[in-house]
Amino acid sequence: MEGNRIDRRKFLQVTAAGAAATALVTQTGCLKYFEKGGGAPAPAPLVVPTACELCPNKCSVLAVVEGGVIRKLNPNPENPKSRGMLCARGNAAVKQVYDPDRLKQPLIRAGERGEGKWRAASWDEAWDYTAKKLSEIKQKYGPEGTLWASTEGFQEIFFRNLGSAFGSPNIVRHPTLCLASVNLAYSATFGTVPSFDLLNAEYVIMSGANRFESIITPDTMDLIGSAMNRKTKLVYLDPRFTVTASKADHWYPIRPGTDMAFILAMLNVIIGEGRYDKEFVATYTTGFDKLSDHVRQYTPDWAEKETEIPARDIVHIAREFADAAPRAVYYAGRRSSWYKNDFQMRRAQAILNAVVGNWDREGGMVPNAKIAMGEYLFLPWDDPKAARVDELDKNFPLAAKGDGVYLKLRENVLAGKPYPVKGWMVYKQDPMNALPDQGMTLKMIQQMDFVGVIDIGMSDTAWYADVVFPESAYLERTDPVEAMPGIWPAVVFRQQVVKPVHDTKPNLEIVQGLAKRLNLSDYFDYTMDQWVDAQAKDLPVDNPLAYLKKHGVLGIAEPKFGGTLKPDHRFVTKSGKIELFSERLQESGFDALPVYKPPVQPPAGRFRMVLGRKGYFTHANQTNNPWLNEFYPENDLSINPQPAQNLGIKTGDMLEVSSGAGTVRLKARVTEEIRPDCVFMLHGYGKKSKWQKLVYGVGASDAVVLETAWDEVSGNAAFHETFVNVRKA
Amino acid sequence: MADTKKKRYALVLDSKKCINCKACVVACKAENGVPVGKFRDWITEERRGTWPRLMATFDPEQCEHCANPSCVRVCPTGASWQRADGIVLVNYDDCIGCRYCMIACPYNARYFREDLGVVDKCTLCAHRVDKGGIPACVETCPSKVRVFGDLEDPSSDVSQLLNTRRFLVKKPETGNGPQLYYLL
Repeated sequence: MEGNRIDRRKFLQVTAAGAAATALVTQTGCLKYFEKGGGAPAPAPLVVPTACELCPNKCSVLAVVEGGVIRKLNPNPENPKSRGMLCARGNAAVKQVYDPDRLKQPLIRAGERGEGKWRAASWDEAWDYTAKKLSEIKQKYGPEGTLWASTEGFQEIFFRNLGSAFGSPNIVRHPTLCLASVNLAYSATFGTVPSFDLLNAEYVIMSGANRFESIITPDTMDLIGSAMNRKTKLVYLDPRFTVTASKADHWYPIRPGTDMAFILAMLNVIIGEGRYDKEFVATYTTGFDKLSDHVRQYTPDWAEKETEIPARDIVHIAREFADAAPRAVYYAGRRSSWYKNDFQMRRAQAILNAVVGNWDREGGMVPNAKIAMGEYLFLPWDDPKAARVDELDKNFPLAAKGDGVYLKLRENVLAGKPYPVKGWMVYKQDPMNALPDQGMTLKMIQQMDFVGVIDIGMSDTAWYADVVFPESAYLERTDPVEAMPGIWPAVVFRQQVVKPVHDTKPNLEIVQGLAKRLNLSDYFDYTMDQWVDAQAKDLPVDNPLAYLKKHGVLGIAEPKFGGTLKPDHRFVTKSGKIELFSERLQESGFDALPVYKPPVQPPAGRFRMVLGRKGYFTHANQTNNPWLNEFYPENDLSINPQPAQNLGIKTGDMLEVSSGAGTVRLKARVTEEIRPDCVFMLHGYGKKSKWQKLVYGVGASDAVVLETAWDEVSGNAAFHETFVNVRKA
Repeated sequence: MADTKKKRYALVLDSKKCINCKACVVACKAENGVPVGKFRDWITEERRGTWPRLMATFDPEQCEHCANPSCVRVCPTGASWQRADGIVLVNYDDCIGCRYCMIACPYNARYFREDLGVVDKCTLCAHRVDKGGIPACVETCPSKVRVFGDLEDPSSDVSQLLNTRRFLVKKPETGNGPQLYYLL
């Protein structure tokens, strides 16, 4: 298939004659073909703009509805973040609605926990039962005896508010399983978490942020466009050869956990050679002298030994990066739950970005713009009397209080300290798969007097619950308006596309049913319409609500740069400057500058387990979607041929993979595309729930083998700190 | 059916931008009711090298809507046919499921639908194109690998790309005249 340009015109001439003749004969047949499937003459399809819920990107969707059935989801190009695309997951959302195994009515457990015996219940019965259980727990242990766990979503607020109105301090959200460390590190440095202008950057360095498989809008699309058109140079560090590695200008299979050494050595070069932005540093930052002294020890030669990246390459990259600045970024990434030093590694990135002066400039790091929205004013409740069970104030004084620290929380709940927690409500989250060490999560479930789950499908957590409330799928409900901050800020609106197929309800109504029975209705005396009205009314368009219903999104396509670049601008930090050296960290007992501590490496014969995603899977529930599952029906363990040979392992062999947390069995995938000291498996398999038919008992759950570890500053889970034994089963 | 005179539809693909995310595959499945396990479009992965000198490339593929389609020539009933605008289709009513076309296709672009007893393939979303739209795979692609358009229109994006960029086609030696143009 090399280079021959075929003679198109010649072919066209031949075809045109042939095809015209054929066309005459069979055009009626063709018409029939296209009318087929619709049955009776169908009314014109209805197109409803809405917002996707399959991952955190909230892309704008145009849902095509025919005869009350969703026929297709198309991208809505009006969204400046999703930029006219809809990924595999977004396209497959139709299957969520018409999944024969989804939750169709409230269920109450009829057998032992996890036995899978359920009885269908009416909504009243499920609400009454749950309210009775929660009230009993409150009476015995106080409201702090209940835990309210949820993952981000447009209706998550109602769930959290119910927990708060109930009086519990124990609201725990997903960030410490995801991006808490990166958020905290950039906040500690800049007072805010910026976005990265990959559309205009000319030099991008990524540590493990596998942006071409873990899709983030608009970063993925911007970067592929600019990198493949040779406008942007991409340097990528990852122990795996990912799709991102395959597209990078330079890929370094860095020794896991040593990214900070690479960054500190870059700082050593850039500061040592005077390549930093002197004016920017003098005007906007504080602590540069201390930083300069601190990084002198971190030479490229030293970093080569830590990272296995050649010193001369580090020097070269540092120089190129500084030369390309301000159109140069060390990209932060999103799921940053890797190592115990994660916060400090992200701090080092933030500091590197700061000294080259890429702040608030085109092609650099940009503080997020936001479209202002109104809000519904609901009755406030009293602050909880008890302190959080995760003892956040004591253990993680800088962590986000509203989010909690999940793994410390689990540890304390299991220990019953500082007080017992016996009720667990879960919304839109599957702790059994989202947290490391599934055995411990299961123990936490088992020590509860009551577990209630609100979800659209029978997750592994729901499988072990006492009551399961079926939420309507996103295409069946109207949600609050959501502001999406960014370089290209937007407001998106998720409106109902079709009526619920089954006896399901939106979360707000589920919450209100419980609130009524818990005598908390005063805090929830509004409808979704009232809530949405209040949010939309001040949006900067005429008839805002009508606009949102018609367009599904209100976006600002023209970014603004440099709004904070005034010498008197006060950053939201203690000093009001960008903090290279952080007194606040020092006061809290943490390193004020990132100090490198070499990570423990796996002992001989063991492997570090690393995680990652595919473009078609984000959350654990997506492996059970038939339109996505077929790309990867069973997960396997990626292992390099060199150790595989030593262990006598061939692709397809059944393996036993064990750690301090647990043991799983899954097949081997012998591949060159991973470091010899690491192994990898995809997330979302080996399910316990029999209603996850495609992945029930298929492959293995990473959560079983992952051990509990966290970053000391943010409390973010450290998912790459587990060493496993691998042998043929 | 819309006016199809003086049109020649084709796809230009910039495979370098393909991230193997499968959006096009699922979009096609949803748009065209393709059964699970069957594919009208797919992404071919090529992986080479030994650690750590590795490479991977991804090529989105589907029916080439050939200028001289061998599938149409071998079809005994005329069920496989080609429109004047180049789109190759299967008329289900005339298809007897003999699958000669599947053997004749050098690109393995056709599959047998057991549930209907017919051969099926990419229609270039003719039902969308005839209403002025673009194929679902083209529309949904996050990295905009595919460009759809009319080669007879010199101002179209596909014509412009082919006039200014180097490209290749797959298996030109078959004489089928494939109409998926892969940019280099």
